[in-house]
Amino acid sequence: MAKAEYSVLGTSIPRMGGVERVAGAGIYGIDLVLPDAVRGGVLRSQYAHATIKSIDTSEAESLPGVYAVVTAEDAPDVKYGRTSNDRYMLARGKVRYMGDPVAAVAADSEATLKKALKKIKVEYEPLPVVLDAEAAMKADAPALHEEIPLPANLPKDTRVKNVCGYSTLHVGDPDRAMAEADLVVEETYETKMVHPQYLEPRIAATRHEADGRLTVWVNAQAPFGVRSEVSKLLKIPISGIRVLVTEIGGGFGGKATGTHSSAGLEPICALLAIKAKKPVMMVLDKAEETVSTTVRAPVKVWIQTGVNKDGTIVARKAKLIFDAGAYSGFGALAGSRCTQMLAGWYRTPNAHVDGYIVYTNKQVCGPVRGPGGPQAAFPVESHMDSIAAKLGMDPVEFRLKNIPKPGERIAGVPKLRDVSLGETIRVAAEKIGWGKVKLEKNQGVGIATGSWIEGSGPGGGAVVKINEDGTAAVLIGKVDYGTAPRFGIPMIVAEELGIPTDDVTVLNVDTDASPWDAGTVGSRSTLVAGNAARLAAIDARNQLLRMAAKQLEASSDDLEIKDRQIRVKGTPVKALALAAVATAAHNEIGEVIGRGYFDSKAVEAEEKEKGSSPPFTSHAAIVEVDPDTGNVKILKYVAVHDVGFVIHPQAVEGQIEGATAMSIGQALCEQVLFDDKGKTLNPTFVDYLMPTWNMIPKIETVLIKGYPGAGPYGTKGAGEIGCVPPPAAIANAICNAVGVRLTSLPLSPENVLRAIREQKGVEP
Amino acid sequence: MSLNIRLVVNGRRHTAKINPATSLLDFLRDTLGYKGVKICCNTGECGACTILFNGKPVNSCVVLAADAAGAEIVTVEGLAEGDRLHPVQQAFIDTGAVQCGYCTPGFIISVKALLDRTKNPTAEEIEEAVSGNICRCTGYTKIVDAIQIAAERLQARS
Repeated sequence: MAKAEYSVLGTSIPRMGGVERVAGAGIYGIDLVLPDAVRGGVLRSQYAHATIKSIDTSEAESLPGVYAVVTAEDAPDVKYGRTSNDRYMLARGKVRYMGDPVAAVAADSEATLKKALKKIKVEYEPLPVVLDAEAAMKADAPALHEEIPLPANLPKDTRVKNVCGYSTLHVGDPDRAMAEADLVVEETYETKMVHPQYLEPRIAATRHEADGRLTVWVNAQAPFGVRSEVSKLLKIPISGIRVLVTEIGGGFGGKATGTHSSAGLEPICALLAIKAKKPVMMVLDKAEETVSTTVRAPVKVWIQTGVNKDGTIVARKAKLIFDAGAYSGFGALAGSRCTQMLAGWYRTPNAHVDGYIVYTNKQVCGPVRGPGGPQAAFPVESHMDSIAAKLGMDPVEFRLKNIPKPGERIAGVPKLRDVSLGETIRVAAEKIGWGKVKLEKNQGVGIATGSWIEGSGPGGGAVVKINEDGTAAVLIGKVDYGTAPRFGIPMIVAEELGIPTDDVTVLNVDTDASPWDAGTVGSRSTLVAGNAARLAAIDARNQLLRMAAKQLEASSDDLEIKDRQIRVKGTPVKALALAAVATAAHNEIGEVIGRGYFDSKAVEAEEKEKGSSPPFTSHAAIVEVDPDTGNVKILKYVAVHDVGFVIHPQAVEGQIEGATAMSIGQALCEQVLFDDKGKTLNPTFVDYLMPTWNMIPKIETVLIKGYPGAGPYGTKGAGEIGCVPPPAAIANAICNAVGVRLTSLPLSPENVLRAIREQKGVEP
Repeated sequence: MSLNIRLVVNGRRHTAKINPATSLLDFLRDTLGYKGVKICCNTGECGACTILFNGKPVNSCVVLAADAAGAEIVTVEGLAEGDRLHPVQQAFIDTGAVQCGYCTPGFIISVKALLDRTKNPTAEEIEEAVSGNICRCTGYTKIVDAIQIAAERLQARS
């Protein structure tokens, strides 16, 4: 279908940059070799909460081979933050988690660096530590940020502490509807902190150039964010900073928000380079990464739903306690998303949700893949099965009963235009063999659904330059880490220009040359950069055709680009070489440079009028539970997604499968553990369990084409939503297998076994 | 303290003076410049640094360079013949098994070692061969496809 309509869109061309990657030739951040560079490193807090009495760097500074030692004293007194400026790049007066940067060193070798970091004497006065968000809200909890006021939107007379964000949702009359419901089901759920654990360690490298400018190399998803934050924190004008992006070995949002996600690595590196008068390269090792960089926040959820006997949902109430960690970071934003999603994506005419985003003495919340999504869907979709069980209804039937209709609203979406939720459920049920598959003892089947808000966000641009040989160079502000920039984007440009995809090059981001962009975040690469690149390619094509039209004495409307020629449609003999026209541009307009820009304004206006069609998904799993060990084995897994139009099927499937597997990790084994002083107990890969080959089944991805999305040609974002359903799908399958409802992640052998024993009345 | 070692990497002889505490991973990357060998966990858990050591796949981060004296090493840089990629490399591209690509060199080496041993691996043999390689991007599903296609192509070739 797609193939007939388009020349390349809808096919799975080999990924741009694939050959370098399989040959080991891609230059990732960690592979950078800067001539004459010295090594930088960070001294991190050894207390989860303490005041700093003094820092003595003299011994470290006097070590041979040490080029610079920096503390907060060396940096301007400037704080940073996303929703609240509550953080310094290097701790000033106080530390709030065991990972907080306190000082940094640049030295001639790794050995000297380690020695120097040990020689820095920091005198701390320990403060009481609070690690649990619910405890942190209580009056007797230690205050983490005395100077930060409580959120202005908190309801009057709310007596809470350490709250850095409050989000709420209210529809209809939930009190009355709940009182009148035939059945009310109430549960509590909990998810744990997980780390994105991208494989390539974070790096930063900085050179203070002879002209006074700073060049900063990063493996970050938001290079322009890094530039603006380095500028702000070091009080250097934007024009004085150039950020270059290397190839990136995974990110998943963990390398997303400028300097936030790295705990200030880039500005610290820049500060060192300026003081050392040498290029500085910094690399976080994996253990340091786990304790210092951003994570998926843990949550506690209370959820209550009122239903009628026939299975109609009439009311939902919920309360969320969202653990932001030591600083607000991305907490208020992810927590707000989570709050909205707790109202579910079914027809729910009456709802009230309160979301409290709370400081604790732990790692900071970042925008990890689908931030807030799995934390909301695990409670919501587990709860759906609990309600169905109480009603004596089939879980699929119960869900289908409550599908919203076009024109109705769900939380976060005031008006739905098209709803593919029901179709995803039906397809997932069919593929997994719902009600038909023969299950052995201790085997169970489960389903869970999800949605993801294609939220509005900042715009972004694209530039398409036509080289004199007729090839195209594409500049966008989004980066490739297995995402759209080197899968779908070159295809879009090739399609619009009528040239082979091999003739398109998408460049890595250089903030001196690339158009501004908010970063490769929020499932927005194809939406923003794809739309912008399409418009830029059309602009370039129009310029080429206008120039050719004069020579061919034809109207530009009658021309097409094909086989590296510009020719009159239907009369292919009347043609010019594309290269000749591109070359001729040198003496007419300089160069063919197409420009494109996209933001959400037009989309928002249309959605306001006609409603929106968010992506929906349903996942279904068959699991086998070992009743003696509690081990859960996934035997079959189906992921059904409405992603609208599909530009590169393999890439979209790959995004969904990757997100699903990452979320299966959160479901079955992953969690960052702490002792009671706030020390991370499992920082290395030896102790931080992640799914390997044997834990992940072959995921069967089914793409269904719902109503077109806002992306180019009708695509919808696909990078994050796969994370939403897995924990609940698996928990529901476990419940179906052995009859126990697990309400806390991970669904690890230990926790499953405990639940089975508790149910049997055996001492756990 | 230092010691001299000789070894062969991707068919090339190297003689080097090394610090006895240096890992084979650091030696290959920093001294000899084989940056295709990826550094990640440094604890032998993730497989990103997998190389062939006398034909067997090992995590180079937990091997001392000194232990490689006299050894024959193959890194991902040594698989292609000129511009012609090894069938395992090509299969990873063709199936979309390369997302960020950071685990890819280690995975390709593990799969090559497997297919050097057996042209027709069972599911259990595949699981054993790659269970030490972590991929965080693909969910392994496209890598399953890649291994299957690589095995088929190698069988057709022989």
